[in-house]
Amino acid sequence: MASKKTAQKTLRLAPVLDLNEATALHEKLLALKGSAVAIDASAVERIGALCVQVLIAGAKNSEEQQLSFTFAKVSDAFVKTTQLIGVDIDPLMAKEI
Amino acid sequence: MDMNEIKEIFFQECEEQLAELESGLLKLNDGDRDPETVNAVFRAVHSIKGGAGAFGLDDLVSFAHVFETTLDCVRSNRLEPNQDVLKVMLKSADVLADLTNAARDGGSVDEARSRQLIKELEALANGELPPASAAEPAPKAVAPAPEPVAAPPVNEEGFQPVAFSFEDFEANEPALIEATCYEIVFRPKSELYAKGNDATLLLRDLSRLGEMSIHCDMDGLPPLDRMNPEAAYFSWKISLKTDKGEDAIRSVFEFAEWDCDLDIALADGCAVDASEELPMQPVPFDLSMLDEAPVGSVEEEEQIATRDRDAAVSAAETASNVLQMAQSSTRAPAEAQKNATAAASAAAQQAASAATPTIRVDLDRVDRLINLVGELVINQAMLSQSVIENDTNGTSSINMGLEELQQLTREIQDSVMAIRAQPVKPVFQRMSRIVREIADMTGKSVRLVTEGENTEVDKTVIDKLAEPLTHMIRNAVDHGLETPEKRLAAGKSAEGTVRLTAKHRSGRIVIELADDGAGINREKVRQKAIDNDLIAADANLSDEEIDNLIFHAGFSTADKISDISGRGVGMDVVKRSIQALGGRINISSKPGQGSVFTMSLPLTLAVLDGMVVTVANQTLVVPLTAIVETLQPEASAIHSFGATQRLISIRNSFCPLVDVGRILNFRATQANPVEGVALLVESEGGGQRALMVDAIQGQRQVVIKSLEANYTHVPGIAAATILGDGRVALILDVDAIVAASRGQTLKPEMSLAAAG
Repeated sequence: MASKKTAQKTLRLAPVLDLNEATALHEKLLALKGSAVAIDASAVERIGALCVQVLIAGAKNSEEQQLSFTFAKVSDAFVKTTQLIGVDIDPLMAKEI
Repeated sequence: MDMNEIKEIFFQECEEQLAELESGLLKLNDGDRDPETVNAVFRAVHSIKGGAGAFGLDDLVSFAHVFETTLDCVRSNRLEPNQDVLKVMLKSADVLADLTNAARDGGSVDEARSRQLIKELEALANGELPPASAAEPAPKAVAPAPEPVAAPPVNEEGFQPVAFSFEDFEANEPALIEATCYEIVFRPKSELYAKGNDATLLLRDLSRLGEMSIHCDMDGLPPLDRMNPEAAYFSWKISLKTDKGEDAIRSVFEFAEWDCDLDIALADGCAVDASEELPMQPVPFDLSMLDEAPVGSVEEEEQIATRDRDAAVSAAETASNVLQMAQSSTRAPAEAQKNATAAASAAAQQAASAATPTIRVDLDRVDRLINLVGELVINQAMLSQSVIENDTNGTSSINMGLEELQQLTREIQDSVMAIRAQPVKPVFQRMSRIVREIADMTGKSVRLVTEGENTEVDKTVIDKLAEPLTHMIRNAVDHGLETPEKRLAAGKSAEGTVRLTAKHRSGRIVIELADDGAGINREKVRQKAIDNDLIAADANLSDEEIDNLIFHAGFSTADKISDISGRGVGMDVVKRSIQALGGRINISSKPGQGSVFTMSLPLTLAVLDGMVVTVANQTLVVPLTAIVETLQPEASAIHSFGATQRLISIRNSFCPLVDVGRILNFRATQANPVEGVALLVESEGGGQRALMVDAIQGQRQVVIKSLEANYTHVPGIAAATILGDGRVALILDVDAIVAASRGQTLKPEMSLAAAG
């Protein structure tokens, strides 16, 4: 699809994604609206449910607009937390570089 | 903010919670069966327990826990909150208050009493009314009970402190229980996150309990551009296979209970496999990585690094409660859109308790402000006086401006005074405890009815009100009310009523304490007064005068000295403390129907409306509240009586004429009454006196400056003030003057008052 070829933007997540970070993350994702997003979660040490909500909302948004939304790099903590709270990020994982 | 400050906030909140607890219990006692009332009571105990746990106050925690367990029975309708149950609960609330005070100020509590209450509470929780023999040895207080009614076993002490770490559940739990499957539906509310808690942490703790499968319901998630990043959208359906029991699951959500919807149900079969209609994601056991994750916001983390994580969360919760209340009202609208039904009730209830946001301010700061405003008022008066003196035409624009300034300063003063004003509620609430205790000791059945608890009065007045009120309540229950048998014999209900009312009346607060007891036994009072040489045996006294005899020092009609009252210190002390507050106390009693004590107190101790008078070239201020009327004596109305006494006839009755200048030693001889003005004043004894002064200058509001604090006590003088011309004027102590006119010397009476 054509849209997939638009320039991909990478968003690097902060190490601590708690209540305070949720609003900031929301704003960052809003700013990236309309382009393909690759999330770099390799630095994440701790992520709360609020930020997961924001990320998933971002992913859904991209899906509706047929843009790609992938987790390019993820940290162990990020994967474990999402598993713990039952959020399946597998379909969003970058399958190939 | 260090630990001590957080602790101080915790104790302040404890006080609020305890007040909440008590008023809730009293409502229940009056037959209120609103589930919200029960919840409020439960919440109060729960919050105290939570905070106490964070600060390691084990006594408080263990008692609160037992209390909470019993309250939970009431909440789940397993225990009918009848009078007997509530009696135990009210006593428990008292002990909880004692424990809190002991934790704050040190000191000890009556351990036997709390142990006894713990037993009674547990008995109630177990569904038995008489206190159970709590000697059965048992492994653990929190029984892993699949059906919640199962009796929690207790150890030989009668209770088991419940520690807050989850290790306990793993280490001490009997391993006999089969693993059971639970279906848990967990829907966090936005408040959960706002309090620094996180669903991930709760789920992590939950996953430690056993094998867990989870499904995250994301249906509620709105589009990215319309979502509130700090609101809760996700909810979870969890299937958990654990051998720890439902209680363990509940304790995971212990501090989040109020901020989420939680449904825990036993599952028929273990649906850990994903065969259900909802795809479940099995949660791997190895979550060790996440253990390192700090909890709470970063600042809190630094402060409470030494505490375990649950303590930190709860401390944060406690410390931020005040903030929460204010926030919740602003948060409510956004939330209501989403969780319309669930959130609306919670938000409404929280909004009700936080209708107007409040702040805590140091009393010192308020006092400093009040002092400054007082100076401002004086300065304004001086300014306008000097303008008037230098201004001959009198209608200049300066005068207009000054008038406005005067109004403004008066308004500022009123507003500042309002800051110090507090409802009398806390004092009244303390009284209900005293009534309970005295009723218990005397074996009487007493009901305290309070009215107008929201009447506001200056904080100093409130603080000083507690002691005299306590005395009077004791007297009312101990002497005033009869025993149930006597009451029944007299055709009254067995339960006596003590009514405590507060209301505003013409710039003063009037507090009334009425009992429906036997009333004052005038014959006995009179005899006692004669025995104690207070009155002559043949004195002819009116009923009112006899009633007022009980305010004399060393007067007690109780035949036997009891623990409670009757040691002869009582009503005279009460009267003196009320007087020291600038108040008056009156009694009216009807035999067989009870007595009514009426106290009238100034709303504030900082300003006073007074009449400025001249006596022997001195300027004095007479409190306006004492003055009934003013009159110009005529020579024909003055009658001499004895060597030095004079009477003035006012509307066909005689009233002693008191020369203020002579009493205060301003002049050596009595002044001519016809040249002066008489102020008819009402004094404590109920009698009227005509105070004679040389002239009336005017009426104005004056700022009270304590003489004791700045100089020393002066007999006959209550305080001082600074007038507009910068001169100091003394404020007359009308009661002392009247007492002195009766022939009592000024000095000893007053020094007693100062000591009292």
